[in-house]
Amino acid sequence: MSLSPASGIGRFYAKSAKIIRFVRLGCTNRPFYHIVVMERRKNQHQPVIEQVGSFDPLPNDYNERLVALNTERIRYWLGKGAHLSTPAAELLGIAGLLPIHPRTYMSAWRNRRAAAEAEATAEKAESTA
Amino acid sequence: MLRAGCQLLTQSALPAGKTGGNSFALEFVRWRRKPRWLPVAKSKMFRVPERKKQTEEERTELMRLHNQYKTQLRSVRQFLREENVRIDETSTVDHIVLTPEQEEAEFQKCIEANAAWNAAIARERDQRLAKEREEKVAYVQERLEARQVREEERREQANQRVLLEIERSKTYITRENLDAAIETALANPVDHNYAIDLAGNLYQGRSTTQLPDASPEPNQQVASN
Repeated sequence: MSLSPASGIGRFYAKSAKIIRFVRLGCTNRPFYHIVVMERRKNQHQPVIEQVGSFDPLPNDYNERLVALNTERIRYWLGKGAHLSTPAAELLGIAGLLPIHPRTYMSAWRNRRAAAEAEATAEKAESTA
Repeated sequence: MLRAGCQLLTQSALPAGKTGGNSFALEFVRWRRKPRWLPVAKSKMFRVPERKKQTEEERTELMRLHNQYKTQLRSVRQFLREENVRIDETSTVDHIVLTPEQEEAEFQKCIEANAAWNAAIARERDQRLAKEREEKVAYVQERLEARQVREEERREQANQRVLLEIERSKTYITRENLDAAIETALANPVDHNYAIDLAGNLYQGRSTTQLPDASPEPNQQVASN
């Protein structure tokens, strides 16, 4: 019986580029991600070197988006020189392991601006009415 | 027509995997989209995608943040690299580090455990050996008794044979009564020759000149032998 691709059976060269990134699991309209270490050049659904966490982007009943991280192994792999994909870097920044990623700031200020504009249009609509 | 052939291909190729990978000409039913070989739709032919506007302010801010982030990440990486080296050097996962006293204590503990174990096993062994010895003694005793009985029987049988011989020795031919025996033998010649006819009748005697008058006795038939 073959092992599942998430069980760390991925083969890799010692000096190849590794990356910490998401693997999209789940199905249509229901994303779920594994946070894995694998060779950078490989397809995301190939066997991984190691799974270091999981991420459920859809809020659950308590409005929580669940993340599990194996920080010890993430630190190890970062120390070994593994690259980071942007979403993974954002997530690790929010988790407090790394500095906050600039994209987080950017999406935050864009969201703020959109909210402010929406509010302004709503106010204008109210005043005209 | 092409579509139908393509679907056939699709059905056979479905278990291969969800991204298609090497086989570029496959179309998957689940992730249905426009096939690669169809041209751009007429309604989209002259559409120019709008470029996302980015203000100068935002651009410079992002540049600043990215520079900062990269610097910070570089130093974090440096720290983690050093941490890995430190862990490699100080880790005792793959080997055991003990002071000489601890080692000595460990050794003594091992010796004590070994001695206790040996004592327990010696106790068991002594019990077992004693039991085996008893069994052996009982067995030998039994065999000795059996031998004695056997010997008695043999002696008895020999005795009986001796008694029988003594009984029979009364009729032995000895030097004293040899003449009388010879005379008796000569007076009573015995002829062991005989003949048999097809009916199994027995005719005693060497010569057949004197046939018996009557038929022989039934108990003299060879067939009855």
